[in-house]
Formats: sequence, structure tokens, C-alpha cells
Amino acid sequence: MSSLGDSAPRLHRAMCEGKSGLHPLEGFDVERPRCSLGGNLVSFSAESYLKKKNLRPLDRTGQLVAVATQLALEDSGWTTEELGKQDVGLVLGTFFGSVHTISEFDRHAVLAGPSYASPMDFANTVINAAAGQAAIWHGLRGVNSTISAGSTSGLLALGYAVDLIRNGRGTAILAGGADEFCFESFLGFERAGFLCGSDGGTGEFPIPFDRRRNGFALAEAGGLLMLEDADSAVARGAYVRGEIKGYGSAYDCARGRHSERAVEAIERAMRLALVNAELTPGEIDCLSASANGSVLGDRREALAIAHVFDAQSDCVPVTAIKSMIGEALGASGALQALDLLETMRDGVLPGIPLLEQMEDGLRPVVVGPKPRQVDVRTALINSVGFDGNCCSLVLGRFLM
Amino acid sequence: MCGSSVAERRRIAVTGVGTVTPIGTGREQFWRSLLAGRCGAGPVESFDTSNFQVHRGAEVKDFRASDYVFELDPGCLGRASQFAIAAARLALEDASLDPIAFDTQQAGVICGTTSGEPQVIEQFDDQYVGGGLDRIGPEFIKQYPCHVIAANVASELGFAGEVNTIPAACAAGNYAIAHAFDLLRSGRANVMLAGGADSFSRITFTGFARLGAIAPDVCRPFDRRRKGMIPGEGAGMLVLEPLDRAMRRGARIYCEVAGYGLSCDAHHMTAAHPEGSGAARAMEAALRQSGVTPDDVDYISAHGTGTPTNDRLETIAVKRVFREAAYRTPISSIKSMLGHTMGAASAIEAVVCALAIFYDHIPPTINLQESDPDCDLDYVPNCAREHRVAVAMNNAYAFGGNNSSLILAAAPTRLQVTVH
Amino acid sequence: MDAEEIRAGIKRIIAKVSGINCAEIADSASYVDDLGLDSLSILEIAVNVEHDFKIKEAQDDELSEIRTIEDTVRFVGRRLCVEVA
Repeated sequence: MSSLGDSAPRLHRAMCEGKSGLHPLEGFDVERPRCSLGGNLVSFSAESYLKKKNLRPLDRTGQLVAVATQLALEDSGWTTEELGKQDVGLVLGTFFGSVHTISEFDRHAVLAGPSYASPMDFANTVINAAAGQAAIWHGLRGVNSTISAGSTSGLLALGYAVDLIRNGRGTAILAGGADEFCFESFLGFERAGFLCGSDGGTGEFPIPFDRRRNGFALAEAGGLLMLEDADSAVARGAYVRGEIKGYGSAYDCARGRHSERAVEAIERAMRLALVNAELTPGEIDCLSASANGSVLGDRREALAIAHVFDAQSDCVPVTAIKSMIGEALGASGALQALDLLETMRDGVLPGIPLLEQMEDGLRPVVVGPKPRQVDVRTALINSVGFDGNCCSLVLGRFLM
Repeated sequence: MCGSSVAERRRIAVTGVGTVTPIGTGREQFWRSLLAGRCGAGPVESFDTSNFQVHRGAEVKDFRASDYVFELDPGCLGRASQFAIAAARLALEDASLDPIAFDTQQAGVICGTTSGEPQVIEQFDDQYVGGGLDRIGPEFIKQYPCHVIAANVASELGFAGEVNTIPAACAAGNYAIAHAFDLLRSGRANVMLAGGADSFSRITFTGFARLGAIAPDVCRPFDRRRKGMIPGEGAGMLVLEPLDRAMRRGARIYCEVAGYGLSCDAHHMTAAHPEGSGAARAMEAALRQSGVTPDDVDYISAHGTGTPTNDRLETIAVKRVFREAAYRTPISSIKSMLGHTMGAASAIEAVVCALAIFYDHIPPTINLQESDPDCDLDYVPNCAREHRVAVAMNNAYAFGGNNSSLILAAAPTRLQVTVH
Repeated sequence: MDAEEIRAGIKRIIAKVSGINCAEIADSASYVDDLGLDSLSILEIAVNVEHDFKIKEAQDDELSEIRTIEDTVRFVGRRLCVEVA
């Protein structure tokens, strides 16, 4: 569920057409804002998907996850009947859970007095609330967990779920991530200087790798993939879109304060993913970067890519979909995966619209503003946080 | 995918424990207090409760972050991170594990939590409400999101491998330990710090008070007059490493992690399934993976929050799984002493299980004076008990219907367990 | 304020919390059996009622007797010293 569509094909088509899910923000009034762009879902109506009258128990993050769950179940061909017979799990990555619900609950209690605090909102102040709500709404009785590793949460959730399936904890697990766009997170990122824009008013450039870039644009989304043990999936006649071949994660103890160490951690996550997938860099056909317009982040990731791919970095096309979808925090890794699965199917890798000139000295072959034809058998996805977490995951074609 | 076949069923040992709790910090002080049945409940001091109908909590007293935080600036850390770092340092020291001596890229931190750093958001809210949004600075994003807890521990100690936070509310500690266990078994790590941390929070206190779940005096798990839980705070951390490596370096081995079970009720956000089926499924899965039967379990560390409903349903669930053996298996709730330390609870309780195995001694359920016909098991009332413990089960249940069961077993010389 | 206003106010709260249309909420409806509400929803309704009608310190024994909308109307009436038939 994203600002560019509620299905992987729609999202992918929009991005291949260079459409942007970012727009001028309305109703998020922050004093002296440097950033006026965001990727929030302006007309999101959970009712139209969930078809139940009463959505009061769900907060926005809960709605995003419940809707993404519904869409993923439908897309993967799981019926209500099958759900009754087999336990499907859910592993959700999230940056905040719902900071808006937590903050609202607290503010209301402070202003009106604690005896008028909302019990329903309290249930949603725990960070695993959305995963719990989705389980209730859709009858998911399999293993249910929530994981937080900053903006790498969604990609890491995919890896966590793969390991759970391999360990026999379940044969079918929905995995991915969600984060809502809210005043609290917008203000937080704004004040930390991460959002695109400048004090001089020179414009907002959330354009990955571009020399004019000056920060990212915050977005919201929910993205889930149905992961299944391959034999079970084939046995039930599922349409298999791809395979997760491996993942790796690493942590930068300096939390982004030293360039070399930041680059090293990103590089290490990528190498661990490749080793885990038993692949060499030369076998990777394309890369979906985490780059989102951050001045430091994009540069460091580019350096790490160049180190890993070395001689091949002139050949591996690199895209960065946050150019269009914005920084959806916990959901971003899942959206990158969903998009790459489409690329594996139709051979088109989205471009980076508005990319006019790459920063000097960045080596990877970034696709450029236009989409590119690529035959993809295996692809690497990066997810890099601003404060130390790094994760990479390898997707591949599914071969029987 | 390579990695999953590496040391396919590596056995995992607990070689160090660290705790920050309302009744003591550090293994020795904590264990002594537990066995003595010390109660950590008292009037809430960290904020004004005059607008509430309840006023008691279990807060950590006399905690100085600067005693444990050396690399990072304690002033830039939320309280939960400070607790987590303290517990982690204590656990590493307890394990005699010096970060210089191992590959820190193969070392990680998995921390469970319920609230993350609530005091940071409470401050944000105070400013919001007071019209002072302009005072909010970059610290909010850098200090508040819950992933910073594991990250802060990792940065403080120099661990550069798998670092993340599992915010599974009141079962978070077990979930974190389970995840660390899997990472070690699959070869993604060689040393893991796993546990949970939470700080006292106005938000949490308000919510539980509003649900009517807070006791007016003390926490009395399984007692007929029980009225609810006492919110608490703290941290528990365990050092986990492959058994063979631990033995090679001559480490003290408290116990092994034999297995775990997780389940989801998919029933109600704040109330357990009325037949205790989710809790039962988690226990059954844990027993299955560990290759032990209910008869083998010598001690159960209960979730035992002291609410009328939890204790009754938990008893039902234990009986479902253990049948006749339920009546022969001591089961106690340390929440009677520590209060409910939220995301830290099941981690601290896992520490307790490790110590129970190591010392053959079971902590009591204190404040238990009147028995409840619905709760008729052996809850080790009021006095600690010397008892051979070769296998311990740690149960924890959370909002959102997340249930967990962790099984710890004595090290190989004492018991042969087949770990599947 | 009269009984009708109290009843209408309560129904509005129930509608907000449960999504059930005011028009479909019978005066005699019970929260659990007729409206199918769970414990969290019922508590949310109670808190909203206390807030909107400015009722302070509702006691457990007052609230534990409430099963139907009429029970709530009577409770509010008692607290506000309003006659409810």
C-alpha cells in the first residue's frame, strides 16, 4: 500500500513511467519548515479494502498493515478456508510502530487527565500492535513478530522470516514492513536536518546520487510479501514470483559519524548477503539501492557498491526507487523487493527521474533518469539506516 | 543458501548474565534479593501520580549510568538504553568475555522492549502541549526510536554484527533470546547479547491504570485477593555463545538454551485467549523443539502478572500441557518481587531460570497468602526452595497475543538433551 | 440535560467506537450480546462517557453492573442528578 499504488505491478509501472509519489504536503504545519514534500497517502481508505464497518481499533499503521496483509493474501491465493486450516505467520519491520498513537495517547492523558486516557489507543501504543492487529483481523495464527532496526527494518524482516521458515517455524509467513507518515516523525526528521530542503531556499532535491541532493522526502507505506517454503508453495499450486537467496546485516558502531566505518558496514552487509546466497558479485544483474537523497548516505552507499563490485561496477545497473517513493522507513525494503520481483518478470529496471548529474567521483553505473531493459536472474537490495544499521538481501528467479 | 547448514544444530550456552532491577543490580545482589523474597514495590517517585487512582510501582533506585556507560555519553541516552548497557556490561564481565578477545563482527545484540525510550517522547509531548515545539531538536529522532536500545549497547561495547530490537511488548525478552539463539545456531554470529530493557513510563503507567490492571498495594500472583500488576522497570541480558566454543575457552556455563516456542492468539489485543490455547501452543512447541517432556521440567518461571485473568488463564494453560505433571512442577512468579518490568521481564526471568539451574534453587512467589481455587498449583509460596533444576521453562505473554516459551537446560554433564 | 440527550450522547459514543449506526442501536441493547462488543471497546465507551459527561472517579462497582445502554443512561443520570424514567 503505497503512494504509487496498491499492488506490485501498479507500483512498478508507475515507477517505470517516472511517476513520483511525492507531493507538496498539506496539513503538516511545522514552524520554518525546510521541506514541503512528502509521500503520504492522501486518500487512503482502509474501509474500501477491509470492508468491515468498524476500523476504530486500528490506528493508521495498523490499517496499513491490515490492508497490506489482505492484498498479500489475495495476491498469493490464500483463501479464508485455507487460513483456517493452516497457520500463516507475520513478521513486520517498523521504524516507529506508531509514534503518532503513542504521542496522542500521552498528550490526551496529560491534557484531559489520566482517567480519560483511551484504552483502545493504549492497545496500539505497543510497537508490535500493528502485527497483532493484522493477526486478529485476518486470523493469522502462525509465528508473529516485530523487528526494529531503523529504516532497514523491512528488509531485515524478510531475512528474519526466511530464517524462521528454514528453522521449521512455519511454512508460510507474511513479511515486510510499514510506517505511517505523521506530524511527529516529520517534525523529528525535519529537526534532525535529514529532510530535503535548505535554509537558503534553494529548493528540495530528494534525488539519489544527484550532486544537488539535499536530503530525503519522508513517505509512508505498508509492504508485505508472502514467503513460503518452496516445496509447500509448489505443492499448493502457488504462482511463485521469485526466491530469497540470502541476506546479510551489519552494524556501524560509530553510528554514521565516521565515513570509512559507515562504508565498511554497508560493504560488509552486501558481502554477507552474497556469501549467504552463494553468489559472487559478478553474478548480480542489478542492484536496488537504499539511496534516498541523503548527502552522506548516498555517497557512502555508492562507495560501498564500488568496493564490492569492483571491476563489475561499470556493469551492474543501480537504481534507487526512493527517488519516486520517498523514504518509507520500515516499508522501504519490502517495496524495493516487490518492485524488483516485477523487474525480474518484465525486464525493466526503473530509472531515477530528475537525476541530472551524478556527484563527481561516484562510480556505480546508476541507471539515469530513464528506465532500462535488464535481464535479471539475481538482484541485490540494500537498506541502509542513517545511524548504523545495514542490511542487504539477494533475490533471484525461482527455478524448480 | 549456505549458513543454515553450518553447525546445523549447534548447541547454545548461556555463559553470562546481567540484570538491573528494582531489587538489585548485578547477579549476586539480584539473586540474593530474590531468594530473600525482597519486594521492590513502593510509591512511584519518577512522576506525580496524584491524578491517578493507583500510586505504586517498582522503580530502579540509585542507578548511576556513569558506572556502566564509558564510551557513549550517558546524557545522550534514554533510560532504557542506560539499563540495557549496564546489564550488557555486567553480563559480559560475568562471562569473562573481553571484546578484545573475539571477532566483534561476529558479535551482535538483540534487545527486546515494550516502550523504547518513552521519556524522550514524553518530553516531546510536554513541549508539544506547552506550545514549545520550537525547542524540539535533533535528539528526538536520534534517541527515541526503539532500535536505538540495541544500537546503543552495540556501540558502547563495539559489537558490529547482527544488531536489532524486537519490540514484542511483555514477551520481548523471550523473543529476543529466541532470535539470538537462531542466529547463533545458523552461524550468523558467534557471540550474542540477548535480553530486554524498559524504563518506567508515564505512558505505560497511565495505560495500565486505565485498563484497571494496576494493583493498589503489591503484586500477588495467584493469590485469591490479587488485584493486578505493579509496573516496573529494568533490564536483563544474557551472553549466548556456541557450547563448544564456551567449553573450549573454559567459560562458566550456566545452562544451555534448549529451545523455544512462539505462538499468536490472533484473538484480542489486550486479553489472552479464554482457553489459554495460544499459551499452550507456545509451551508445546518449546517442549517439542527441546526434546523434553512436561515430566522433565523442574521449574516454570510464570508470566504471573498478578492480574485476576492472567493468573487464572495461565494456570489453565499449564494444566493443558502438563496434565498431572502440573501439580508436581514448581511454578513461581518473580513479578511478585520485581513488578512487571515489561520488555525486560522475560529476559530477567530467563536469567532467573539460568541461575535456578546453576544453583538448584527456586525463587518464591511472594505476597501469596490466600489460595485461589482456580490457581491450585505449587507456586512456591513466599519462601525460596532448594530444588534440583535440570530443565526450566520461561513463559511470557504480550499484548497483541504474542506468546512465548523458552526452555533452558543444565549443561551436558548433568543432563543429556536432544536438541532438534 | 434530559434523559433523551443522555441517551443520544451515549449512542453517539457507541457509534464512534464501534462503527455501528446510531439508528441501529436499540435503547435496550446489551453491549456484549446485542452489539457484539469486546472488553476493550466497552471500556473505551465507558471512558468516553465519563469524559463527555464530565463524570469523575467512577467506581468499579458502579461500572461492573452496566450491561445495557439503559444501564449506562441510568448511571449517567444518577451522576448528573437527572431523572431518567
